[in-house]
Amino acid sequence: MNDRYEKIITTLILFTPLLFAVKGGYLQEVSGYLYLFLIQGYVAWFLYFKCGQPFFGYSVTMAIGAYGTIILTVMAGWPLIGAMIISSFAASFVAVVIFLATIRARGLASFLLAILFPRLIEALRDITGGRSGLYFTGMSDFIDDKYIYVVVILLTAVIATAFFWLMETKTGKIFTLISENDRLTQAVGINTRNYKLLAYALAGFISGIGGAMYVNYTGFVSSVDIEVFTTVYIFFIPLIGGSRLFYGPILGALFVILIPELLVSIERYLRILYGLIFIIVIVFLPEGLAPYFRKFIRKIFVKLTS
Amino acid sequence: MLLNGTITGLIMGGILSLPVLGVAVIYGITGIPNFAIGIIGVFGGFLTWYFLSFNIGFAILIGVVACFAIGYIIQTVLLTPISERGGDSTLFFIITISLGFVFEGIIRSIFPRPNISLELPRIGTITIAGVTVEYFKVFALVFALGTLVAIRLLEEHTEIGKSWQATSQNLKLAKLVGIKTGRVFSIASGLGCALACVGAIFWGALYNLTLLSGWDLGFTGFIIAVVGGIGNIWGGIISAMIMGMVMSFSGYLLGGMWQSVILYFIVILVLIIAPKGILGSERSL
Repeated sequence: MNDRYEKIITTLILFTPLLFAVKGGYLQEVSGYLYLFLIQGYVAWFLYFKCGQPFFGYSVTMAIGAYGTIILTVMAGWPLIGAMIISSFAASFVAVVIFLATIRARGLASFLLAILFPRLIEALRDITGGRSGLYFTGMSDFIDDKYIYVVVILLTAVIATAFFWLMETKTGKIFTLISENDRLTQAVGINTRNYKLLAYALAGFISGIGGAMYVNYTGFVSSVDIEVFTTVYIFFIPLIGGSRLFYGPILGALFVILIPELLVSIERYLRILYGLIFIIVIVFLPEGLAPYFRKFIRKIFVKLTS
Repeated sequence: MLLNGTITGLIMGGILSLPVLGVAVIYGITGIPNFAIGIIGVFGGFLTWYFLSFNIGFAILIGVVACFAIGYIIQTVLLTPISERGGDSTLFFIITISLGFVFEGIIRSIFPRPNISLELPRIGTITIAGVTVEYFKVFALVFALGTLVAIRLLEEHTEIGKSWQATSQNLKLAKLVGIKTGRVFSIASGLGCALACVGAIFWGALYNLTLLSGWDLGFTGFIIAVVGGIGNIWGGIISAMIMGMVMSFSGYLLGGMWQSVILYFIVILVLIIAPKGILGSERSL
């Protein structure tokens, strides 16, 4: 399967939950939640795996999108769409600031900020509600919940497709070049710093939009939702699913978000299982689940056709 | 208030310096960021709590030895082989967080109570310049400083300490001169986890131990270690004391919830101005 067909199939898969919109219920609720994390998963896929940038502030940018939307709409009286866009720009700005602040410290420094951010939200509880959180009606004031779900699915599909398209452009190829060899890219006269800034700005904006959509869909956000483990789970989505194939993050999101739902009866042992599976996948399946999934599908296809 | 804040800050810094020391020892020698260190330490704290009814010394020994063994084994079986295959800090971040999940799950499965308090003897109180402080808290501070001195002495005057230094400075050369670097890494990892366990025991005796305190201790240990210069033992201790003071005074002046905000801005400032920490470090995170 070449890249083109893989992208088309991935995009089609991304649209399939629209079928649940007709039926509604639990499946719709969970798949909507899964897609909200899939947006963040594709941001991690783009920034870390395609651009090679070690960013671990996904929960921070997502939170800025979510809290910004509530604060601007409810407290400042802004129109919803305007608030969502401005909050996403604010998330983009923060992502760039984190990049600039941690550029000399490298690697996991942004993770330290993700650890401290929920505490900042907690400290500002007069505005943010801290652990008690903030409730938000948002889009449900204008449209039915079913349509908010449709917006989530469409937004995720558009974002994923936009990332696929971006990676095919000249800019995308420079991103790939930077991730392969930063120094070599500089040596051929490309200002890598500007491209990295662009990657962070873009990732921050999309993550912010995802956050803004999250609070519209769930109707609630608190410091617990943006704990440091949110960043960890988001990072696990493309890692577990597989970063080389376009549908890798979908498998990752299914795994990371659905497994706890399915194994709720053994919730006590879930963390052990989770941790062990993560370690096994990382150590023994460094390409993630997607290549094995592809092999499996091919086998079935061959059997069916023969 | 000034004296009270200073004493509280010093004691808080002293307790925090134990996991910081653990992070510094592991990262300084192996170059691996082990984010599971806090939760492993708290697992040792829970073990100590479980055996407390037998004998205090025995219970503490069980916790500390178990943590040393866990640190030794995970380094030998998992982390060193991955490091030899060229694993980077991001990979170790993911693996050690996953290890943390495993130990959090183990604590949740084995111990029925998610929130414990270690009932250690409090000895009494001492009055310093009009401020009454529990002996136990002073002991915690003295123990932390004593541990630092012991580690420095171990590094300077023993064979294993010298092999630590050689391994952290030049791994290839250390291997060439016959140092079993794998064993050095494992001992360092074991020691780091054992130190985190002692930190967790003090924490559990003064406050409470929960599943979350494991992550809290480990993450705070990392933040403080980065501010001091990750892998730099002196930097870690000084940073722990400064952070202890900052948390104490910001708590007094602005209220407890602002402690983290102040800490947040200090970390950002340090990352911008001195990304290798206040005392600098050969390595950065």
